[in-house]
Amino acid sequence: MTSHVPAGATSKGRKGNPAGRRALPLPGPGFWWTAAVTVAGVLVALALSSALIAATGGSPADSVAALFQGSVADATAWTSTLLYTAPLLLVAVGTCVAARSGLFNIGQEGQVLIGAMAGAWVGLRLAVTGPALLVCVLVAAMLAGAAWAGLSALMHRYRGVNVVVSTLLMTFIAQQVVAFAVNTPALLQESRIGDGTLAPQSNPLPPSALLGSFGEYPALQVNGGLVLAVAGAVIVAVALSRSRWGFKLTMLGHNPDAARHAGFRTTLLGGGALALSGAFAGLAGAVLLTSPIGVNRLQPGMAMNIGWDGLLVALVARNRPLLAVPVAALFGVLRSGGSFLAATGVPAFLVDVVKALLVLAFVAPPVVVGMVRRRRMARAGAKPVPALEEAIA
Amino acid sequence: MIIDERVAEPAPPPEPALRLRGIRKRYGPIVASDGVDLDVHHGEIHGLLGENGAGKSTLMKILLGLVHRDEGTILLNGEPASITSPQDAAARGIGMVHQHFSLIEALTVWENVILGDTGGIDREAACGQVAEVSVRYGLPIDPLARVESLSAGERQRVELIKCLRRDPSVLILDEPTSVLTQAESSELFTVLRHVVRTERRAVILISHKLAEIAEATDRVTVLRRGRVVFHGVTADTGPRELARQMVGREVSLGAEAAALGILPVGPAADGRAADGRAEVGRAEVGRAEVGRADAPGAGDGAPAAAAPALRLRELTVTVDGVARLTDFSLDVAPGEIVALYGVEGNGQTALGDLLAGLVVPDKGTVEIAGRPVALDRPGALHRAGLGIIPEDRHGHGVVLDMSVAENLVMKSLDGVSGRGFVSRRRMYATARRLAEEFAITAPSLDAPVRSLSGGNQQRLVLARELSAGPSVLVAAQPTHGLDVGAIEDMYRRLRAAAASGVGVLLISTELEEVMALASRIAVISAGRVAGVLPTGEATAERLGMLVGGMAA
Repeated sequence: MTSHVPAGATSKGRKGNPAGRRALPLPGPGFWWTAAVTVAGVLVALALSSALIAATGGSPADSVAALFQGSVADATAWTSTLLYTAPLLLVAVGTCVAARSGLFNIGQEGQVLIGAMAGAWVGLRLAVTGPALLVCVLVAAMLAGAAWAGLSALMHRYRGVNVVVSTLLMTFIAQQVVAFAVNTPALLQESRIGDGTLAPQSNPLPPSALLGSFGEYPALQVNGGLVLAVAGAVIVAVALSRSRWGFKLTMLGHNPDAARHAGFRTTLLGGGALALSGAFAGLAGAVLLTSPIGVNRLQPGMAMNIGWDGLLVALVARNRPLLAVPVAALFGVLRSGGSFLAATGVPAFLVDVVKALLVLAFVAPPVVVGMVRRRRMARAGAKPVPALEEAIA
Repeated sequence: MIIDERVAEPAPPPEPALRLRGIRKRYGPIVASDGVDLDVHHGEIHGLLGENGAGKSTLMKILLGLVHRDEGTILLNGEPASITSPQDAAARGIGMVHQHFSLIEALTVWENVILGDTGGIDREAACGQVAEVSVRYGLPIDPLARVESLSAGERQRVELIKCLRRDPSVLILDEPTSVLTQAESSELFTVLRHVVRTERRAVILISHKLAEIAEATDRVTVLRRGRVVFHGVTADTGPRELARQMVGREVSLGAEAAALGILPVGPAADGRAADGRAEVGRAEVGRAEVGRADAPGAGDGAPAAAAPALRLRELTVTVDGVARLTDFSLDVAPGEIVALYGVEGNGQTALGDLLAGLVVPDKGTVEIAGRPVALDRPGALHRAGLGIIPEDRHGHGVVLDMSVAENLVMKSLDGVSGRGFVSRRRMYATARRLAEEFAITAPSLDAPVRSLSGGNQQRLVLARELSAGPSVLVAAQPTHGLDVGAIEDMYRRLRAAAASGVGVLLISTELEEVMALASRIAVISAGRVAGVLPTGEATAERLGMLVGGMAA
């Protein structure tokens, strides 16, 4: 027998490398390639964006200035940025949970709406006073979001319906349900005051159901929603990397057969992860409803694509909750800066184009690098393993 | 099957059909092919022997235009040939039958045969050609049959016909017998001899089984670590010499010999006294195991001790409407190694999946240490004390993208966690202990299992399964794809497990393996147990008849 080096004897730097990082090929050559390609991608995206803005008659320099002013230039801008960051982060964290289990929940936009609707219902109809009402609103929103995503899990379990398809289509149903609710006086439509016309929206929530902020205008205000979102990200990050549940979920995501073989109840585990991701989306809906981001009324358009953008946040953060925090902030910058930019005459849809280009710049490189390496490896017969062994033996 | 059948070496013609000179290929730091020279003459079967990773596949891929060589020349009939694509190779008369068939199951035989042709499709002509080739070489096949309805042996015939129809001058066969019964293997070699003797084609037979190389080839080239280490006339070289060249050191008999496939498979020929000794040694091992098996039972004195470690009763499994197992019954006593031998595709996979908890049988029971197991409960088999080395290691044996440590503890999280959290300290402690005990070589405990060699992955699975203290260990094809050292090690550890009182069920398609390890051999054929023989009474012939579904 050749001399075996026991694994323990050769492991280095273990403490500084928690297992939660395993998905990222960190120190390998792939990492540097990915980093380089990402930087190049961002530069290309910025160049293309500038060209687009110039082509539509705007000034790229003015646009950057406007983006900057509207998002991070002063306390007010930061307040607005962070208000957007919170729901984006909540959606992204939920996406991370589902993705870890190998399921792709892409129906967050609908789950956000359903969560907001449940929150509005509880906030307007429940005879609870004081801060307890806010807690009820948040919990109701989470449960409703979980239930909405849970429906997809059930469809998958009993009828084999593809989760991607069902979560997506449930979004359109959610939009109709909310539209119906705010158009039906017996449900959630606003009360008639005098003989004015009724808008498709609910009454405003009572002040006790609203999320407060730390800080006073004109200083920076940090809404409670952000605190919830960051806490959620940290808790999920720790749970995924350290808990038994996270371990099982990771195993399920990497290899469902192995998880089943190890005796885990994979249906429950996967369905639970899907429901939990729905709960986070529902909570995002409640934050949209109860924070000063909007008018604190249930409106059909109140989700503002937060559900879709939250997905993108998770995509850029490669499904890692802690990385999602800065990425969500970046998307918050684009949103708050984007609305400011629209005021300078640049068409609002261009902001979306810029956002899409940036997302591509972040998402494409690891895929491209992986593809190139795989092809190179396939051509080379894919035998790096013995070398690795010999190198350490 | 009988070595003496080998026709005397004909004088090689001046120009070999295929001549390789100085073929070199590097993959980064690894030299897969290090200046390989190879001459294959018309009218000979040339054996290419080597362990996994010795460079056999790389060489053949270069020959087929799938891989581009860094250096070296290829001469076909004396003329330099630049082969840059599989199409080139086919046009120059190089044909290959791959180990894993490249047939499309939903199509018929003739459709598969003409696949890749250009021009219009003429069904009658194609069927005619298939029939013609099939008669000429004695490869009976129905051109209109769908491939999915064919046995592994028949599928190989289709692959052969597909190759031979293109009239190749060099025919390469990669591990052709791995899916064949003994009888089918003999038939194959008869066809090959015909192809070689009467049509002067050149055949390259790639194998890691020494017995096969010794039986079927005229000349042999042994590769080790990308180099040609030996090259000669097969008849002048004993299997032990080949074994020594292949492994690079003197090989002992017993498990190692079995790993190399040099235990007597046919009637013991003269000059094989050494192998005879191995057989005696093996019988002793078998007896010793039985002796040990009795000891703990007697010591306990409890009635449960009499119960078999594993009792399978009338298990029936139907997958997609096809019965994979039918009334399958088998017992494994504590401390005993029982082999389930048979040709691939006779229900072993269904049994493995069932015992892995991935399939629930239509009927039948599984008892472990005397207690029935509720098979519809996830993880029930594992909790009841069944460890398993699954056939498809990557399918559910390991999670390739999780770390070595995580893979080692994933089935016993209770042992390394408390209050919902996995204790990393305890996980690493357990993992380090198991990695040392089972000699798992890994860059670190945090390295993904993907970065481990096959042998180390397999040891990892074994370590995890045995760490749970099972009463029965199921090892399905535990040595598939491992090199000789790893195979020996696996044999040693399986024996040790049995010696410690674990009942071992070895599911294997390798005759040498079951003969070397098991005290009893059950033969599986078409999802049923065709018969059970004590190893002492088992011969290749009797097992072969059982494999074919006949009584022995």
